[in-house]
Parts: sequence; structure tokens; C-alpha cells
Amino acid sequence: MTSTLFYIFSAITILSSFFVVFSSNPVHSVLFLIFSFFNVAVIFLLSDAEFLAMTLIIVYVGAVAVLFLFVVMMLNINEVLVKEGFLKYFPLGLLLMSIFLTELIIVFKDLELFSANNSGISISNLLNQGHENTKSIGLYLYTDFFIIFQISGYLLLVAMIGAIVLAHDNLLGLKSQSILKQKQVKKDDIIKLK
Amino acid sequence: MTSANYLILSSIIFSIGFLGIFINRKNIISILMSIELMLLATNINFVGFSNTLDDLFGQIFALFILVVAAAEAAVGLAILTIFFKKSGSISIDIINKLKG
Repeated sequence: MTSTLFYIFSAITILSSFFVVFSSNPVHSVLFLIFSFFNVAVIFLLSDAEFLAMTLIIVYVGAVAVLFLFVVMMLNINEVLVKEGFLKYFPLGLLLMSIFLTELIIVFKDLELFSANNSGISISNLLNQGHENTKSIGLYLYTDFFIIFQISGYLLLVAMIGAIVLAHDNLLGLKSQSILKQKQVKKDDIIKLK
Repeated sequence: MTSANYLILSSIIFSIGFLGIFINRKNIISILMSIELMLLATNINFVGFSNTLDDLFGQIFALFILVVAAAEAAVGLAILTIFFKKSGSISIDIINKLKG
């Protein structure tokens, strides 16, 4: 049952990612991107990663994809111009992609992986102790991985400041007070006696 | 599901993103969307290994990838909007004017 659902949702994900790349209207490709994020969230749910599935929907669909949608709607893009050079680069891109994909699939086809003994954070042990997925992520994220967690917070802060500084480009047209100019004003510049 | 299922799914999505970077030469927004697809493929890899190897670290690392993807999208789109305001186009061919 689970593997059937996995196959169905991965097929839908692959199809919608194709439409992301090939659709000529950028709004449609953002909507297909949202659709493929939803399908990957379902795949995460099937893989017992409930917290990450919900985070994917909130962060990617709620923040990143909506940001993309706003930017696409703000910029007035000419559709015909966007697809210029499509046929010029398509054969080379398809060739490189198929070589890359064939190599990867040949390597991954009969791959046998095993985990090192008693070294990782065992999910089944955590489940036996009564910690569900979200609680066990919290138990490790705020203790063992605390430094990385804080660094990622600083990364988000820096990105936020950078985006605000970049988008706020009308600083030159802004009316602001210059104390030096105010001090240099003479009486004749302002008051005229007739 | 075995780990090969996750690996093949993620490599297909990664290759689609790779193809998207190649063919969308006139549209930087499509390239940013392709990069999002590639980051999604890495996330699938991490969650798949976390499931098959019974190790929570993959899910924690996928969370950090989510943070990096959000930061990258925010800064990239801010640069894109200001570039469009200055030049009136988002083509790759004139992106060398980004310096000013």
C-alpha cells in the first residue's frame, strides 16, 4: 500500500517538475512548483517525516513559492522573448541530462546501504521511548545541534537584511535633513526684502 | 521502499532542474525555480536515507537545507527585482551589467 502510494506520488512529482521547466508562462510554472512541493510533502509523510512534511508546506509553499508568484506578477515579462533560444540549447541540455541521469541510475540501481552500528540517532529507539517525530527532532535540534541551529538563524537574519537593503533602492530620492546644509544657509537665500 | 527508490526519484528531479537551468536562458526566474527543484531533490535524498537507515540526522539536516533555500530565494529575488527595475529585462545575456 505504502509503496503504491509512493510510486503514484513520485510520478506526479516528476510530471509536475517537467511542467515547471517547460511551461512558457512563468505563473504556470510557479503553480506547478507549488504542486510538486505538495506531492513531495506527501512522500515525506509516507517516509515517517511528519514535521518536515508540514514545514515543507509552510516554508516552501507559504513563503518561497508565494514570493516567486509575487515577483513573477510584479515583473512584466514578455512570454515570446522568454522562450527565445529554447531550441538552440535544448538538444545539448537533453544530452547532458540524459548522460547524467543514466550514470546516476546505473550507480543507484543495485545499491546496498547499511548504517554503522550504534552511531546514529535511532528513530525506532526514540519511538520506543514514546517520542514522536516532532518531539525527537526538538530533543536533538535544541541540544546537540544548537550551534548549527543558531548559525542558521543568523543566516536568515543576514538574508532578511540583505533583501531589505537591496529592494529599498529609492534612498537617493528620499527627503532627509542635512545639518551641514542647514548651517550654511544665509539670510539672503531665504528672506528677500522688497 | 528501498533506498534505491528515493535515490532514483531524487536524481530524476535533480536532472530536471539541471535541464531547466540549461534551456531557460532568457529567464532568471525559471533558473531560480530550477535551483529550488534541485534543493528539493537533495531534501528527498536526506529524508529517504533517514527513513531507510533509521537515523534522525537526515531529517535535521533537511531542515537546515530548507533554511538555506529560503534565504537564497529571498536574496535572489531581491536582486532580480532591482535588476529588472534598472534594465527592464531579466535575460541572462545582459546580466553582465549587474556590476553597474
